[in-house]
Amino acid sequence: MGIKVVERHGNTFKEKIYLHAIFSGMKTTLKHFTANLSDASNIPTICYPEQMPTDITPRYRGVHRLTHRKEDDSIACVACFMCATACPANCIDIVAIAREDSVDEKMPAVFNIDLLECVFCGYCVEACPCDAIRMDSGIFSVIGDNREDFIYNKEKLLSIKGISEEEYSLGK
Amino acid sequence: MNTFLILLPLVLTMLYSLVSVPVLVWMERRIAALIQDRLGPNRCHIKGIRLGGIIQSVADMMKLVFKEEISPSHIKNKFYYLVAPSIAFMSAFLTFMVIPYADNITINEKIYHMQALPTDLGVLWFLAFAGLGVYGIIIGGWASHNKYAILGSMRATAQVIGYEVAMGLSLVSMLITYGTISLNEMVTYQSQSFSMIPAWGIVLQPIATIIFIVTAFAETNRAPFDAAEGESEIVAGYHTEYGAMKFGLFFVAEYIAMAASGALIVTIFLGGYQLPYLSTTDLINHFELVLWLIIAFTVVSSLIFLKWMRKHNIFAMKGLNETKVYTTIIIVFTIFAIIVMSYYALGFGHAGAVGVMILQFAIFTVKLFFLHFVFIWVRWTLPRFRYDQTQKLGWNILLPLSLINIFITAIVVVGVNYGN
Repeated sequence: MGIKVVERHGNTFKEKIYLHAIFSGMKTTLKHFTANLSDASNIPTICYPEQMPTDITPRYRGVHRLTHRKEDDSIACVACFMCATACPANCIDIVAIAREDSVDEKMPAVFNIDLLECVFCGYCVEACPCDAIRMDSGIFSVIGDNREDFIYNKEKLLSIKGISEEEYSLGK
Repeated sequence: MNTFLILLPLVLTMLYSLVSVPVLVWMERRIAALIQDRLGPNRCHIKGIRLGGIIQSVADMMKLVFKEEISPSHIKNKFYYLVAPSIAFMSAFLTFMVIPYADNITINEKIYHMQALPTDLGVLWFLAFAGLGVYGIIIGGWASHNKYAILGSMRATAQVIGYEVAMGLSLVSMLITYGTISLNEMVTYQSQSFSMIPAWGIVLQPIATIIFIVTAFAETNRAPFDAAEGESEIVAGYHTEYGAMKFGLFFVAEYIAMAASGALIVTIFLGGYQLPYLSTTDLINHFELVLWLIIAFTVVSSLIFLKWMRKHNIFAMKGLNETKVYTTIIIVFTIFAIIVMSYYALGFGHAGAVGVMILQFAIFTVKLFFLHFVFIWVRWTLPRFRYDQTQKLGWNILLPLSLINIFITAIVVVGVNYGN
């Protein structure tokens, strides 16, 4: 194995008087300036809210949604409390009841997520055994007038549509 | 007319220093943004009119003025604490007073100076007040009674001591070249040309030009020599303890000092208010031709600007239709300017001297804003010098270089005079 000799810079006269490097740096910045001034359409800045971001993928952790079963469009959640247990922010509030329609044993009567407490870590999605909760809605901006507006209940969570191709639960 | 001509340079001084600060802040932000492939501030508006973002800097200034004045309770010397920003502001502002904005104008056999302060001691006044400006920083840092502030002001002090020497010496070589200390006579000297090359300071004395520009950057504490407010190691330097308009004065003073240095660089090295090859008498004698050229330039530039604006002004704010308003204003103004200028260009009226004076104001303004652009451009290109590098550059390189430059200049000037 040979030793790689790295050439040291900064010892020639041209490099020592700085000016050459300064002017070449200024040339670079001037190029950016003139190019952007004459045609601002190449600037990657997104003029939100007139322009919306186009790079939100299904794996982006947006607002949660509850998925439906493919067979009868009913709620996929079986109220197992895995998500509420995994949640580090304790923002999921579930009340379970028995399911009467013989599709499954349990379902949530109440499923509230407090988005003001949620840290959008995605642990609930990973914990869910039924693929019943997902964060693929693509919604990154949540607004409300009061604190109650940020507590999303079961109906609200079921009504949010996802941006991935998989609309229904893949669970079990 | 008498009083008007005497007050005019004073008004212009206010325009170039105070009124241009929001414009400079706007230039700083937008140019920085465009250099870094961003857009910069463009949202703030009054009834939908954004003026390309200038409203943002006006709003910032309003915020600073109306913010609550807080002075920390640990400060013992309240007087020095309060007087420091005013010193920085006042001396930056006073530096501007000696810059000639146009040639001396003769009306009814009376000579009017287009300097706010009609003195021949221009260069000395500049050096005095440019040096005094740093006292604001020094006193502010000391009176703040804060480690970061005093470190910042000590850096500023050491830097200014080092660079003021080189700055003065580079000016000495210019004084030897021009043979005068009157700024207006320096500009008149620069209207000559040596066989197709205009005798501007930058051509006669390239080394002194570089030294002066570098030291002017250091003197105004602008990047790459802004170690005095190095936010990565000493929070905000000398203005750490200042808030609201007390900080605002420091902020404004920095921009006015930059404008003053830019104006002096224009005056001494870039031919001041002169166009190359054309002296003031040439301009007055061929004023009709000059006016036709200006009319053509006005039409072409406003057409180009309209096309550019229509392409880029995409997102309208609530309120008036901005593109329409600007288009109307520009077209009306262009037509008005063409009518006024062709009135004189066709020989109906005689406005030679005054017209040339206005033209020289315009030339000076264009050159000054080019210098502002250079200041901003350099700030967003170069990283900050480390403190020891700053000192080394000042004492080990610029000082000997400016001394050598003086010797060579003196020998050449004596030789040329002896030859004649």
